[in-house]
Amino acid sequence: MGASAIAATAPARVLLRLENISKEFPGVKALSGVNFDLRAGEVHAVCGENGAGKSTLMKIISGVYQPNSGSITFKGEPMRFSSTLQSEAVGIAIIHQELNLVPHLTVAENIYLAREPRRGFLVDRRKLIAAARRCLDRIGVNIDPTVQVRALSVAQRQMVEIAKALSLDAAVLIMDEPTSSLTEQEAQLLFKVIRDLKAQGTGIIYISHRLDEMVEIVDRVTVLRDGRYISTDDFADLTLDDIVARMVGRSLEDKYPEPTRVPGEHVIFSASGLTRHGVFSDIGFEIRRGEILGFAGLMGAGRTEVARAIFGADPLDSGTITLDGKELKITDPRNGIEAGIAYLSEDRKANGLAIKMPVDANLMMARMDGVSNRFGIIDRKKHHDASQHYVDLLNIKTPSLTQPVRLLSGGNQQKIIIGKWLFREPRVMFFDEPTRGIDIGAKFAIYQIMDELAARGIAVVLISSELPEVLGMTDRIAVFHAGRITATLTTRDTNQEEIMHYASGSGRRAQ
Amino acid sequence: MADVTGEKDMQQRAAPTVKTGRLSERQKDIIQKFAALASLVVLTAFFSATSSAFFTVGNGMTIALQVTSIALLGIGATYVIITGGIDLSVGSVLALAGVVAALAVKELQLPVWLGMVLGILTGSLCGMINGIVVTKLRLPPFIATLGMMLIARGVALQITGARAVSGLGESFGVLGNGSLLRFESIDEQGFPVVAFPGIPYPVVLMIIIAVASAYVLNRTVFGRHVYAIGSNADAARLSGVNVSRVTIYTYLISGTLAGLTGCVLMSRLVTAQPNEGVMYELDAIASAVIGGTSLIGGVGTISGTFIGAFVIGILRNGLNMNGVSAFTQQIIIGLVILATVWIDQLRNRR
Repeated sequence: MGASAIAATAPARVLLRLENISKEFPGVKALSGVNFDLRAGEVHAVCGENGAGKSTLMKIISGVYQPNSGSITFKGEPMRFSSTLQSEAVGIAIIHQELNLVPHLTVAENIYLAREPRRGFLVDRRKLIAAARRCLDRIGVNIDPTVQVRALSVAQRQMVEIAKALSLDAAVLIMDEPTSSLTEQEAQLLFKVIRDLKAQGTGIIYISHRLDEMVEIVDRVTVLRDGRYISTDDFADLTLDDIVARMVGRSLEDKYPEPTRVPGEHVIFSASGLTRHGVFSDIGFEIRRGEILGFAGLMGAGRTEVARAIFGADPLDSGTITLDGKELKITDPRNGIEAGIAYLSEDRKANGLAIKMPVDANLMMARMDGVSNRFGIIDRKKHHDASQHYVDLLNIKTPSLTQPVRLLSGGNQQKIIIGKWLFREPRVMFFDEPTRGIDIGAKFAIYQIMDELAARGIAVVLISSELPEVLGMTDRIAVFHAGRITATLTTRDTNQEEIMHYASGSGRRAQ
Repeated sequence: MADVTGEKDMQQRAAPTVKTGRLSERQKDIIQKFAALASLVVLTAFFSATSSAFFTVGNGMTIALQVTSIALLGIGATYVIITGGIDLSVGSVLALAGVVAALAVKELQLPVWLGMVLGILTGSLCGMINGIVVTKLRLPPFIATLGMMLIARGVALQITGARAVSGLGESFGVLGNGSLLRFESIDEQGFPVVAFPGIPYPVVLMIIIAVASAYVLNRTVFGRHVYAIGSNADAARLSGVNVSRVTIYTYLISGTLAGLTGCVLMSRLVTAQPNEGVMYELDAIASAVIGGTSLIGGVGTISGTFIGAFVIGILRNGLNMNGVSAFTQQIIIGLVILATVWIDQLRNRR
């Protein structure tokens, strides 16, 4: 089906064409035989699971990486970019997920950073501001070019990035997850800007996990899976389910393992009245033996904050926590760990792993006393054996125990964090976005591990922003909205719509 | 140190390295260490060729003695820098410690050993205060230890009235001037002939402390936690590491070693100088950095710092012997620091 779609790309002017692109990193084939083309005035979405090769492809287009084979043509000319400066010079701009603005400079200064209009040695401020205002007007947003960027909302910053890209006369605009931190209203404004740009002939490459919002703007869609090219089609010819099926490569039922756990009635862990002023209030839930409890909700609803406070990483103003019927007093992560609580952070690199340190050091980090004598001297044999045990148990793919973890894939890094906590033999485990940035095979493995842990009687909490994951992996779901639990639902009796209903705060069910 | 086994590893892995064009972390590590060690050998060879007096047992002992203060301070600096901190106060702290030891002996008539213990504890106290200011008041380490640098120097000058403390008696000089295994004989005219100059006590002390601190850093839970904090303090905290306590200990170690260095230095002069040790903190940091310790934290070894200290010591000594002026020496050492750190960054760039 891919070939026929490419043959049909004649009508509009093709801005950018990539043919048979392959890219290898040591030990990993990131892309093989990928085709892609972008026409003037279209929005072309690139879809794929995490690890499918979307960002590698974008980095090749913008010149960060060079392909091992394949050809790139831009406006009919063969191109080979060896840096982002070169791709920018011909008119390809990328707007990153994490925005690249200087917070302490003004909007105008950011738009024209390193290209300031000058009068002799001085910056021509009047010209600078006028030019910046023209850029902002062109996308129809009302932002004062003289305010500092740090005073702007995320959505406004995104608009500034777009204005900056336009000031570079970008013919191709790459947007990487542009709506991931926008409210519904802000996203609508962005879509309006995108439609205007389309009308002006800009070609836009659009990457997003939110397939439903693509209906608003996307013209064509290319699907990648595991670094391979799958298909390119007109968006109108596909249903969202078609796209998902192509991304996943198997039917959705197989995405989650068959549960081996048997939920019981015995309550292992319970929390009630948990409050941290201004962050969350009156949080109460129970976890029963053999079940996985989901925390669902929008970003910033307080799910992570509750887990961190229970674990002791953040302070708690009031509330009680009981484990196996005993009340716990937790003021520091050390208390939480002692009590048998494990928290697997949502941001592996920021606070889950010491990424410069080797695999074994990370695996042992939470329980060094288990592999050392009472004088604090490490028993190297125990250290090695225990590390090896978890590498084998969790099937962590690493060349050696001394490999620094930053060189491992996201899935293996996540397994190392799981191994670190398993070594402590915890009673309760909070998994915070455990599959973010992980390829699909590793996701399945992590789901299996979670199920197994629950089956072994460990209370498991899954915090996830991906509703299908919450629905596929949990037994009950606590839905968060604005720092409160608005509903606790039984997974097999609910659906995405009901969860979203409570997560958006439009309804509240008495508990 | 692990260099002997490391060489074997490198040979075994050399072949696949060529194919992939990428080095494993361990290989990079070994190459780094060998690079520092190689430059040490090159320097030694060069100075031996240019000056006949350089490569002698006597001069070797002189260099080792000169290196002790840099190495001891460098070891402390390594601990602190691995956690991502820095200690600018050690030069002042060593002066204060030495002065306290001397005054305790002279004014309070305490025995020499007790005076020196008091001096060392003074260093520990300063280090602990640094650690508390960094972890509890949450001041940046640069500022916290800059403050201590001024305070300790000020106190040292204040309590001595800015005058050197002398007349301490011969026993005060034993630690700095005595030697282990010194062999002498008396010739026909009755003059002593030195068969072997002996290993100066400070050198013995330096070697024991270097080995012990390398052991602590590599083989103990505490050492592991030091690396973990420097690599990712948040991850360490969430794994149950007592980040504040471990961090305070590293400053405590740095301060204690500064105190010890102060006692050794003042003992060598048999006089306590409140102006001693100015800018020594920079030598200490330089030796750690030359030895491959990263100022970002998480990376560093005692053996590297030890080599770094000797690179500085041999440069100074060899240049002196060749009649190079002190000013030119500074320029050369400055260039060496820039070059080694630049090489280190090339190594880490991917």
